[in-house]
Amino acid sequence: MTFEPATRPARSSGRRAPEARPAPPPRPRLLDAALVVVGLGFGATVGSTIIVETSSQLQAPGGVAMFLGNLTGMAGTYLALVMVLLVSRIPHIERILGQDGLLRWHRRLSPWPISLIVAHAILLTYAYAEASHSGLLAQLASFVSSYSGMLIAIIGLGFMVLAAVLSIYSVRRRLRRETWWAIHLGMYLALALAFSHELALGPSFVGHPVTQALWSIAWAATAGVVLAYRFGLPAYRTLRYRLKVVEVRRETEDVVSLILEGRNLDRLAVSGGQFFEWRFLTSKLWWQAHPYSLSARPKPPYLRLTVKAVGDHSSALAALAPGTKVAIEGPYGAFTTHARRRQKAAIICGGIGITAARALLEDLPKKSDPAVAWRVSTEEHAALAGEVEELVRRRRGTLHVVAGNREDVSLHRVARLVPDLRQRDVFVCGPESFVESMRQVLVGEGVPAEAVHYEVYAL
Amino acid sequence: MTRRTPLVSAAAMAGLGIVLLAHVGAEPRLLASSPSSAGGGSGNASSRGGSSSSGSSVSGTASGALEQYGYGELAVKLTVQKGRIVSATVTGLRTADTYSQQIAAQVIPMLRKEVLAAQSAKISGISGATYTCSAYATSVQSALDKLHLK
Repeated sequence: MTFEPATRPARSSGRRAPEARPAPPPRPRLLDAALVVVGLGFGATVGSTIIVETSSQLQAPGGVAMFLGNLTGMAGTYLALVMVLLVSRIPHIERILGQDGLLRWHRRLSPWPISLIVAHAILLTYAYAEASHSGLLAQLASFVSSYSGMLIAIIGLGFMVLAAVLSIYSVRRRLRRETWWAIHLGMYLALALAFSHELALGPSFVGHPVTQALWSIAWAATAGVVLAYRFGLPAYRTLRYRLKVVEVRRETEDVVSLILEGRNLDRLAVSGGQFFEWRFLTSKLWWQAHPYSLSARPKPPYLRLTVKAVGDHSSALAALAPGTKVAIEGPYGAFTTHARRRQKAAIICGGIGITAARALLEDLPKKSDPAVAWRVSTEEHAALAGEVEELVRRRRGTLHVVAGNREDVSLHRVARLVPDLRQRDVFVCGPESFVESMRQVLVGEGVPAEAVHYEVYAL
Repeated sequence: MTRRTPLVSAAAMAGLGIVLLAHVGAEPRLLASSPSSAGGGSGNASSRGGSSSSGSSVSGTASGALEQYGYGELAVKLTVQKGRIVSATVTGLRTADTYSQQIAAQVIPMLRKEVLAAQSAKISGISGATYTCSAYATSVQSALDKLHLK
């Protein structure tokens, strides 16, 4: 089973090409440890605002608002730090939860920091106005003129609220990926702008050099992690592997495979089912990175991804010229054979989801008796069908391909194509709506939730 | 997934508990400390421009020392352009109680105006806020010293 470019057949020398290495296994204990540290930090952050408070401060007018304003500010900012860490691509954590899992946590947490920080701003403006017997607007003016770091902190709050408003009401569904990305840069900027007023005016910090140092270290470390794993590591890997397009192969009417060639690919640790963020360095595409799975395990010096034309970006890929350089971020994803808990495995996929399934299948041992159920719109759209068939046959597994759209072929029917479904690990891949509905179907069919493995390409 | 929520909650309670326990028995430091102007130590200065003797061409920013004044502590940062003080902002403010916080919030904008008008640390006090005013003035003076002005 090979996908070497047609123009350059496999080397005829008897030596086997070096194998690519699988991704390192996830270590779930690390996640537990990280969560304990995060929890301790949250408790200590809240505690640091409580211990600087005195009862006489609370009893005086404006005192309660002052205290709550400090508390919400500290708690909200700490949670914002956690949100940044959740999307910082720390490999050891990403391996456990997968990119989509981390993004789900990030999204679930997101309402908290923003509402706490807005509450902080309102409460403290009110409290200071009470204390100085002035109006809210006069107090805002005095914040800007008389207190260090407050002007940029207020500007930062503006960025933060703007980004939050743009995110609410699922505005993002109508935004381009790149716009969404730019809004998030605004969030990072907001957090950086707010930092100075925290240390200058936060009651937990003024006159407390130890708390100041800890808070500064926590933020510096977070910034370091983001820079290292979101920028440094991808840049290093891009330069190390020096990928370039060597062939664009048409698989079906709207699906193409890109075959890339690179150096040192025997050193690249990646498992079947994982994906990269790909950035094709042409004058029109260099500024956008998109996630696509590998559609086969790497065969050094070659890699392959298979893409269906659905948007501007994926359509443009069919026209890539050989020689185009490619920058990568990744590999990412926990949708690998490391997720297996049982001996037998099944793969259920919808349409172009077969690309990740095809690579995953390569990692499944024969004793897993792989059962593959695949729904495609028509037989002609079954890209990579020949390869999948051969991989299944070699493992003496079963393959069912059913053609038809959602109305013709119910998800229940697709799931029931898998023999002894309840005894298997079930890997689900395909478009987001397919994956979501299929998960419910599987649970309804009696498959335990922990035996269902999936990955959604989120933004 | 299900056991992770209790894990984080327990850790958060533990973190809170550790901080609170560590604090129990510790004296409220602010009330205990006496008015002083330790000078030196904290704060930093950066200045560009000509040397100090004329003073007219100095530009830069300096943070004054954190001054303790019995009811709290505060520090002032000055920005100077061509020998003129163009801004005075509080970079550290902590008070022992809300009454002191109220006084500080009231007088800090006034003191800023006085410093900008007088172009020096020689400001007339505000009645009822003697300690706050003197801490403000002392911190302003230490910032001026760092900038080699007046």
